[in-house]
Amino acid sequence: MTDTARQRAERLSTLPFETVGGGYRNFFSGTGHALRQLWQHRELQGLLVRRELKARYKDSSLGFLWSLIKPLTLLLVYYFAIGKVLGAEHTTPMFAILVFSGLTIWGLFSEILTTGTMSILTNAGLIKKVYVPREIFPLAAVGSALFNFAIQLGVLVIAIIAFGQFVFTWQLLYFFPAVLIVLLFGTAFAILLSALNVYLRDIQYLVDVAMMILVWASPIIYSFANVAANTNKFITSLYLLNPMTVAVIAFQRAMWLPGPTVQNELAKAHVDPATFYPADLNLRLVVLIVIGAVFLWISHRVFLRLQGNFAQEI
Amino acid sequence: MTTEVGTTAPVVVRIDDLSKRFVIRKEKSLKERIVNFGRSQKFKEDFYALKHVSLDIPAGQTVGLVGHNGSGKSTLLKTIGGIIQPSSGSVQRRGQIAALLELGAGFHPDLTGRENVELNGSILGLSRQTIAASFDSIVEFSEIGDFIDTQVKFYSSGMYVRLAFAIAVHVDPDILLVDEVLAVGDEPFQLKCMAKIREFQEQGRTIVLVSHAADQIRDVCDRVIVLKHGEVIFDGDTTPGLKALKKSFS
Repeated sequence: MTDTARQRAERLSTLPFETVGGGYRNFFSGTGHALRQLWQHRELQGLLVRRELKARYKDSSLGFLWSLIKPLTLLLVYYFAIGKVLGAEHTTPMFAILVFSGLTIWGLFSEILTTGTMSILTNAGLIKKVYVPREIFPLAAVGSALFNFAIQLGVLVIAIIAFGQFVFTWQLLYFFPAVLIVLLFGTAFAILLSALNVYLRDIQYLVDVAMMILVWASPIIYSFANVAANTNKFITSLYLLNPMTVAVIAFQRAMWLPGPTVQNELAKAHVDPATFYPADLNLRLVVLIVIGAVFLWISHRVFLRLQGNFAQEI
Repeated sequence: MTTEVGTTAPVVVRIDDLSKRFVIRKEKSLKERIVNFGRSQKFKEDFYALKHVSLDIPAGQTVGLVGHNGSGKSTLLKTIGGIIQPSSGSVQRRGQIAALLELGAGFHPDLTGRENVELNGSILGLSRQTIAASFDSIVEFSEIGDFIDTQVKFYSSGMYVRLAFAIAVHVDPDILLVDEVLAVGDEPFQLKCMAKIREFQEQGRTIVLVSHAADQIRDVCDRVIVLKHGEVIFDGDTTPGLKALKKSFS
């Protein structure tokens, strides 16, 4: 036996045995175990995010610009059709910024969900052949969505400054709970649906359809004031139960509502700016963050349960 | 060497009463599930890929898993690797593990060789510093040369597996799981692979190998486990093991 071999044997004899794939069974410590594993694989996580981003626009000459062209086209379409043709511009000042704020935060959610749901299946080759904590695939989708979000956010901020709508107020702080809620719910759904999609391939199509409906179920292309004015109390409160609605409203309150032009025109038209958000917005944000965190934990538990059979079900 | 290691070496893989049941469902879509709801038992089929397998593997041993197609050897390897979870029983192990179940799993065709070395190394559990430190040596071993900055989708299949194997042997595992991937590349490269395996053996690493090539098994293994229909029918020295394998075919 060589020296290296002897040393290796000695080192190995001191190591404790680990049960393979059994760590997740315990309800609470299972989560801790999984989180530790994720932490150990954080470098891989970063590399996977970079892979997604690099591979997505590889060989296209415009590259990352494409991730901007889509939301900007949507903005143009909505601005023209809804702002100009349907005249939403008259009741909603700076309609373009309102819509682009909404599209930016919505884009984050929808990208997390659509790419996240597919993430396990698209990485089938890896999952069948190598053991890595499988959560990293939906999480990598979240990471690459965040990157695109950051680019769009940059454009949004530049636009806000260019239109002279940037004011430094405490309302900017609404940015953080808004993004946090989107991340919590988006990640929770992505983890849950990516696992379910392995067993039931219909999920990916359901998500596509749901996204189409949900984009209209939040005040993205219109304002919350329109909803409150045109529906009864029951519908409005039902509408506000949607976490994305609250997140979008909070995001608009940070990005759009404090703008001087917005404030001036609302004052001229004798419209209270408070009609653009529910009175109990702060409470709603706190409650949603708590619910989102619990939901994320539950989805992760479900994911850990289901992932044992990924390799054979894909 | 076997006996010397066998007496003192600590056990690194301990498999206790391991069974793996596969449920084969014949429908996948929502429609099919709803249509067949209630009758779903008919659309399921159980089958055991592994039945009550128990074995210990001490450090430094090279184990050949053999058996006919569908005997459960790949399933056993995947269970040791943690890729598949057991239905009952347990697998315990210690030490760093690397699984070579398919060369280039996780290669992204649109990324360059260099980017894939980083990604694949990380998937196999290497830190970024280690990858950076052994990068040149990986490229040298793979004989890829200047093509390292070309997208791997333009690689020939030989280049592809050579690069993948080069990354894999630069992982520093205590336990190496190998699934029929050694028969890659041209003859000189195969010799190089076998030399690397021998080097691994000398360094006291444990190797679990699935192979259909009896010559290869005879060459490198010091223990053979023959599986048939998910059960261990032989566990012992190489030469009688290969005889038992032949018998299991008939």
